Amino acid sequence: MRGWLLSIGSVVLTSLVIGNAYFQKQQFYPSVVYITKSNPSLAVLYLQAFVFVLLLGQLSRKVFFGQLRPAETEHLIERSWYAVTETCLAFTVFRDNFSPLFVAQFTMLLFLKCFHWLSEDRVEYMERSPVISFLFHIRVICLLTLLGTLDSLLVHKAYHSVINSGASTQLVFGFEYAILLTIVVAVFMKYVLHTIDLQSVNPWENKAVYILYSELVMGFIKSFLYITFMVIMIRVHTFPLFAIRPMYLTLRSFKKSVSDVIMSRRAILNMNTLYPDATPEELASGDNVCIICREEMMTNAKKLPCNHIFHISCLRSWFQRQQTCPTCRMDVLQPQQPRPPAMPAMPQGIPPHGAHMPPPFPMFPMGFPPVPPPGVPPGAPQQGLGPTPPQPPTTQGPSSSTTPQPSSNPIPGTLPPFFPPPFPMFPSPMFGFPFPRPPSSGNTSSATMEELRAMEGEERENVEARIAVLRNIHSLLDTAITQLNQYSQAVAATQTPTFMSGLEPQAGTSTAPISTSQDQNTDENIVSSTADVPGPSWAVVDEDVATTDGETRSIPEASTGVETLAEDYASHNDLRQRRIERFSSQPNDNQDEE
Amino acid sequence: MAGAALKRLMAEYRQLTLNPPEGIIAGPVNEENFFEWEALIMGPEGTPFEDGVFTAKIVFPSDYPLSPPKMKFVSDMFHPNVYPDGRVCISILHAPGDDPMGYETSAERWSPVQSVEKILLSVVSMLAEPNDESGANVDASKLWRDNREEFNKIAKTLVRKSLNL
Repeated sequence: MRGWLLSIGSVVLTSLVIGNAYFQKQQFYPSVVYITKSNPSLAVLYLQAFVFVLLLGQLSRKVFFGQLRPAETEHLIERSWYAVTETCLAFTVFRDNFSPLFVAQFTMLLFLKCFHWLSEDRVEYMERSPVISFLFHIRVICLLTLLGTLDSLLVHKAYHSVINSGASTQLVFGFEYAILLTIVVAVFMKYVLHTIDLQSVNPWENKAVYILYSELVMGFIKSFLYITFMVIMIRVHTFPLFAIRPMYLTLRSFKKSVSDVIMSRRAILNMNTLYPDATPEELASGDNVCIICREEMMTNAKKLPCNHIFHISCLRSWFQRQQTCPTCRMDVLQPQQPRPPAMPAMPQGIPPHGAHMPPPFPMFPMGFPPVPPPGVPPGAPQQGLGPTPPQPPTTQGPSSSTTPQPSSNPIPGTLPPFFPPPFPMFPSPMFGFPFPRPPSSGNTSSATMEELRAMEGEERENVEARIAVLRNIHSLLDTAITQLNQYSQAVAATQTPTFMSGLEPQAGTSTAPISTSQDQNTDENIVSSTADVPGPSWAVVDEDVATTDGETRSIPEASTGVETLAEDYASHNDLRQRRIERFSSQPNDNQDEE
Repeated sequence: MAGAALKRLMAEYRQLTLNPPEGIIAGPVNEENFFEWEALIMGPEGTPFEDGVFTAKIVFPSDYPLSPPKMKFVSDMFHPNVYPDGRVCISILHAPGDDPMGYETSAERWSPVQSVEKILLSVVSMLAEPNDESGANVDASKLWRDNREEFNKIAKTLVRKSLNL
């Protein structure tokens, strides 16, 4: 309404002024001279020009933006006030050159600036709205092309004017339009990124990274422009007070984008090195909704040391802000020192084979059994592979008898990477050094004379040897503790008597290495006590681990229920085979060492 | 599809429409912009705000859920933890780092685990049990502590006002 009043009023005034001039002078040229000589008439004409600019602005807004959203209007008004203030400051700096043309140029600059801001807001809005129409794309592309062309033309013009007629106010305009051109480029880059993102059904994970880097580059260019501008202005003219605020803002945002990039890189590095990928089994088990984006996690998920699982991209953007677990707020950088990657890995592999673990650990820290102990592990594979099938399930026995119970266990397939093979090898993925060494050096009875001698005496090497032994013992104790924890978890997870009966003899094994026959007895107990459980068939399967799945099914005593279970555990079969291969290779190595 | 923030907001909206928590209705003001929501909150029973229906506006940042949204009561509200202009001051709406009241541990701050539903539930419990240690509205805190009757009276008038009575 007010706008209409203003424009109609100005048109009326202009026609009055022109009519009056023509009425007085009767001719074109004298009336023009009259108008330009009369200040009130000129004021009216300037007002009319201003109104024209406003109308043009309204028209282009309608063409390129349609209705402005309230937030956009608010933003525009706020920025316009700053720009107007700065323009007034610029007028004071260039008061010598003050002329209507100069004002007109500044008005045009302001006018174009408004459209740059609006286009910035509009493109940002793409991220917020679920419905982006075709018209939107056309409008944005047209607007950006137009603005880009105008900016380059004006920069070009300003450049030539400066080159030809020396530094003048054109210098300011040249820089201003160059800055606007960078805005157009930045907006266009964002637009392209958003458009690509809109095309795909799934969120584009690397978009954040691209945006980050594009902001970094544009921030750098803008800061460079501003600093150059500042230096040149101070040299040729005076201190450009009007450019202080935008320059400060630019430098600040550049600094922020630099730190964002650094944080992002650090987050990515941490994620790639510190945390394991979540396996498909972990994702399949139970709640696989990423708490950050509330989407299901199919792939590309990471597991933090606290066992919480998130999308890689979500986690990365969160780590840019904070290095804590979003769920439990554990500081993810804290446990970096000793062995972060191993710790989260362990609980995955262990639980289903909790029964498998105990034998190694009690022997270990004590350092009693020298590398090929009389007890279970190295012997087992040989029996398992060897031609004498009757005594297979030494180490496998318990685990196979227990596997049916933890069948609900979410992560059976995670085993391959983390499964602890016979113990001499097991800790080696966790600790950097080859593990078989500690038992032999920690065990005085089996240590060689050389080693014993090395541990005596006061010389440096001897002391070092002692310290090394102590360190080994320390790490063994750590292992034992984690294993104990997992052991207790496994016990808690499976409460059926079958499992317990399978475990008790294990405890016996731990204190005094027990012959395989005893283990076998317990297995037979299990077999007899739980004839309806797939246990028996498993004992059979274990006898001949090399049998394929199909052969397993052909085993006569396997009932239909067992068959399905056999299918379920086909992967276990593979696994066991792999395990046994390692078994057979590992102890041999150890023996070689001895 | 579009950005992660939008997807998550749509997911939360779906969730809130399918299983609305008791006494809370929330959704985008218009479906073209999912970053501005309006919420209707029933005053919890047995409190001075009982029976009132209070309108609040929630504005989400474009990097939601990494940054917390802002919540502001549109209805008049007189409460120790609501600024006189309607902004809600509860710890889960504060990003770790800034601590306007200087007493919150980072454990109770914003994290992506939070959601609109949790915020609104926290606001309901805030209505039920004001925390007068962090006075966003000092007058309300003082009145709540020293002159509960007067506080309840003001709350009752607000309830009536919220129902356009």
